[in-house]
Amino acid sequence: MLKAENIIHLGQVRVIRGVLLFLFFILIARYFQIQILKHDIYYKKAEGNRIRAISLPAPRGLILDRHDNILVDNYPTFVLSAIPVEFNDKEKKIGLISDIMGIPTEIMEKNYSNYYRNKFLPVRLAKNLSFLQLSLLEENKTSLGGTYYGKLPKRFYTDYLNGIHFLGYVGEINQKKIKQFKNSQSYNLGDIIGWSGVEKYYEDLLIGEKGIDFFEVNAIGEIVEHLSDKTVQPVPGNNLKLSIYSKLQKSMEQLMIAYRGSILISNANTGEILSYVSSPDLSTKQLSGGTTQKDWENIIADSDTPLLDRNTSGLYPPGSIFKLVTLFPLLEENKIYSSWETNCSGAYSFGDRIFNCWKEGGHGTVNMENAVAQSCNIYFYQAVQSLTLEKWSETCRNFGFGYKTKIDLPEEKTGLIPDRQYLNNKYGKWGWSKGAMLNLALGQGEILVTPIQLLQFANIVATNGKTNKLHFRLGNTSELLFSENYSDKTWRLIQKFIRSTISHSKGTGKLADPHLRGLYVSGKTGTAQNPHGEPHAWFFGFGKYKEEILSVVVLIENGGHGGEVSAPIARQAFEIYFSEKTQTQFSHAIN
Amino acid sequence: MRLIKKFQETNLILIGISLLLFIIGLIGLSSIAVHQGYLHKTSPFIKQSIFFIPGIILFILIFYLPKSFYHKSAYLIYGFSILSISIPYIGKTIAGTYRWLDFGFIGIQPSEYAKWVVVIVLARYLSDNNLNIKKMVTLIVPILLALIPATIVLKQPDLGSAIIILSPLIPMIYWSGVRPYFIFLLIAPLISILTAFHPLSFTVWGILMLVIFYLSQPNLLSGVISYFSFLFLGLLSPWLWSLLNTYQQKRIITMLNPELDPLGSAYQVIQSQTAIGAGGFWGKGWGQGTQTHLKFLPVQESDFIISVLGEELGFGFLMILFTLFAFLIYGIVQLAYESNDRFSSLVLIGIGTILFSHFFVNSAMAVGLTPVKGLPLPFISAGGSFLLSCFMMLGLIVNMGRNTFD
Repeated sequence: MLKAENIIHLGQVRVIRGVLLFLFFILIARYFQIQILKHDIYYKKAEGNRIRAISLPAPRGLILDRHDNILVDNYPTFVLSAIPVEFNDKEKKIGLISDIMGIPTEIMEKNYSNYYRNKFLPVRLAKNLSFLQLSLLEENKTSLGGTYYGKLPKRFYTDYLNGIHFLGYVGEINQKKIKQFKNSQSYNLGDIIGWSGVEKYYEDLLIGEKGIDFFEVNAIGEIVEHLSDKTVQPVPGNNLKLSIYSKLQKSMEQLMIAYRGSILISNANTGEILSYVSSPDLSTKQLSGGTTQKDWENIIADSDTPLLDRNTSGLYPPGSIFKLVTLFPLLEENKIYSSWETNCSGAYSFGDRIFNCWKEGGHGTVNMENAVAQSCNIYFYQAVQSLTLEKWSETCRNFGFGYKTKIDLPEEKTGLIPDRQYLNNKYGKWGWSKGAMLNLALGQGEILVTPIQLLQFANIVATNGKTNKLHFRLGNTSELLFSENYSDKTWRLIQKFIRSTISHSKGTGKLADPHLRGLYVSGKTGTAQNPHGEPHAWFFGFGKYKEEILSVVVLIENGGHGGEVSAPIARQAFEIYFSEKTQTQFSHAIN
Repeated sequence: MRLIKKFQETNLILIGISLLLFIIGLIGLSSIAVHQGYLHKTSPFIKQSIFFIPGIILFILIFYLPKSFYHKSAYLIYGFSILSISIPYIGKTIAGTYRWLDFGFIGIQPSEYAKWVVVIVLARYLSDNNLNIKKMVTLIVPILLALIPATIVLKQPDLGSAIIILSPLIPMIYWSGVRPYFIFLLIAPLISILTAFHPLSFTVWGILMLVIFYLSQPNLLSGVISYFSFLFLGLLSPWLWSLLNTYQQKRIITMLNPELDPLGSAYQVIQSQTAIGAGGFWGKGWGQGTQTHLKFLPVQESDFIISVLGEELGFGFLMILFTLFAFLIYGIVQLAYESNDRFSSLVLIGIGTILFSHFFVNSAMAVGLTPVKGLPLPFISAGGSFLLSCFMMLGLIVNMGRNTFD
């Protein structure tokens, strides 16, 4: 086969030769055009002029609230840069710039080595230049060859809200961060990227596309001509519209000034976050430049941890709110009947331990409805014994505890739902008893949840399990799926009990009801013992007005009783939201 | 000795031209090195000079092996080659790509060798299936043989090498005697899609297709169906394109042209053209190019070395360079024409196409005729794997160019 005869027609060779000849001719013609015909033009360009390509940063997209009020905007600042190739006598020029503009040389030297990429790309020396500095620079242009100034869009925040914990902040990209991006080529050192909050989560949406400007500069680096026909304009990033209701958010921020803790408010049907407060917090303005080193040290050293987003990263025992979770499998599997009654004497002995009710002297005879409404511990100590730890932790997980809620924020903690394996690992197989379970079922002990998980739970309960995932971005709605739903009977009883918690004269949550016509509030309080002092005060619930359901979670760290501290705060949230609904319709403008 | 005997049957002119090209490359690289010191250990000039030794050894090895070896083990080498271009995917990325096989002390780019391995396997297949080649269906196998490695390389991502791997396909099929009409059927859909975005080009192409169909006189029904399906394909493609999201379009465009970054390719071409144009007829003199030495020229030691030569040594010198390439390619085609056996002839045409494609794309992009693609200039650009591959291809050329079977 190797010797298969080779029959090539002369025609074939001629075609190949013809194609080659044609392509060679094109090449030679093009080189002739550039090197001979246009030689003068290019020679001048290379000798006297250099073409400088400078990237034009694109403004990030705006961040809006649900009524199109701008929460995060951009405004232009000026930066001074140098092109290394043309920036000879570096020390001398930096000294001169320092004299003219009053910027310390060390800062510029440090910036120069930080931002240096290669010889012919601009290196940033200083930013946030004032107009006075700019004009001084312009006057001394001739002795500052190789420098130029450009615009840089900067983030500008509304005064109206703080919102640092969900808006997040932006910062300059550094060597470490740049490697984390898949499309790292499109980022340069010093570019502004989202560092936290939705600024980070929606980075791909918010970031625009850089443009490019071509300049002809002469041998000493002065701009001779702006090649404006070659300019590629930057494309601003897409706007991000959030579900935040600014007016409500503002009121909640003010309400919380006196406390450490959080308030979360959402629309239970859609999963949209309306208000997201973690207190104490900072204004976004505080983090967007103008922050001195000393301010920073104060912020970081503050024992109230204003930088911590308590909503997604704060871990707390949920207290009595978890009696509800415990109730689901009990009702669903008919472990106890809602008509079952027991006597609460204020104490209950199990094994060698005494478990107390929060109410000294006890509640007397309680049925299930009263046990929830008045948060009787003794009732639950007894009821929970028909439940296994596995079943209980499975129920918690079914409601999303122990998992991230996948809300559209970059950081979130999972919390801790102890199960058999966890306790075995921690205490050894025989080191713990069913007594641990008694605590857990009441939301005490080693269980930890985040406020955002409780808000998700509130939405699930408020909608009988038919809600959407929690989210900030309007329109980003997707159904919240869970592995097991409950029967109508279970839901009906649960709804009855939590309504009773608010409406009953002895209900622990009665202070949460603003008594507005047509508004039905349900909920549960929690008073979570913890090793850091006073118990954490919880309220979790929702108000129904016509078709609309507003869910609210309130946590006051070391606040005391949930019913006394947190419930009244929730009442104000309901009041602000719903009284406006009924009285002044559609006046949403802020400022 | 056998080696000496083999050399006596050989076209020494092509070896001479190749060595001249290599020396021209060293001239360019030494100019780049002149201001950084020749003996600087990272100097591409030193690296390139050192690679000459393994280059010659590999050249002799490839040349020494009998023709029958390549014919017999064509499929084996092909399989091995597919494996070696797939292996880098297992490892970590180097500079964001999967091109390199890392041996610690040396990195190898297996795709460089895959280029001519595909030629050998295509030659084997096309010479074996001599008689059936007039049927359209037989073309499926060679297309797949080239398409598989091209796809793997494209994913690395290395569009330049993928194009080079595909480039010998059409010339080799044509060389094996397929009706030109079949080749037209192969490339027409592609041209339809490409011209569709430019109404005038598309109209011209529509008319041109009509003429071609008329002249090649296919079966009326199949001709009409092909004509209209190509036309519709073209008409549909802007619509299909518009169905994609902006980010999807962007992803496709960046895949086709990774250097799209405006600070990248637009800047590179402007600087390269300026360098070449500034050189004029005589050039600015060796070591005198401002574009080169002020580092305005990017990747000057590999992709844009022709701009260095153009700036410093001028149009006259470039024409000598082009003439050398013309002689090299013309010589290879001549050997293929005169060859006694089909396998050797096809290998020669394939290798010729690879060398010419490299040469053409490289020198065309430097003057803005084609988009910027990282394809080096054969024997001239710095780059270890590619230089070795060039010497191996030279070994194949002179080996296959002998009119003796062994």
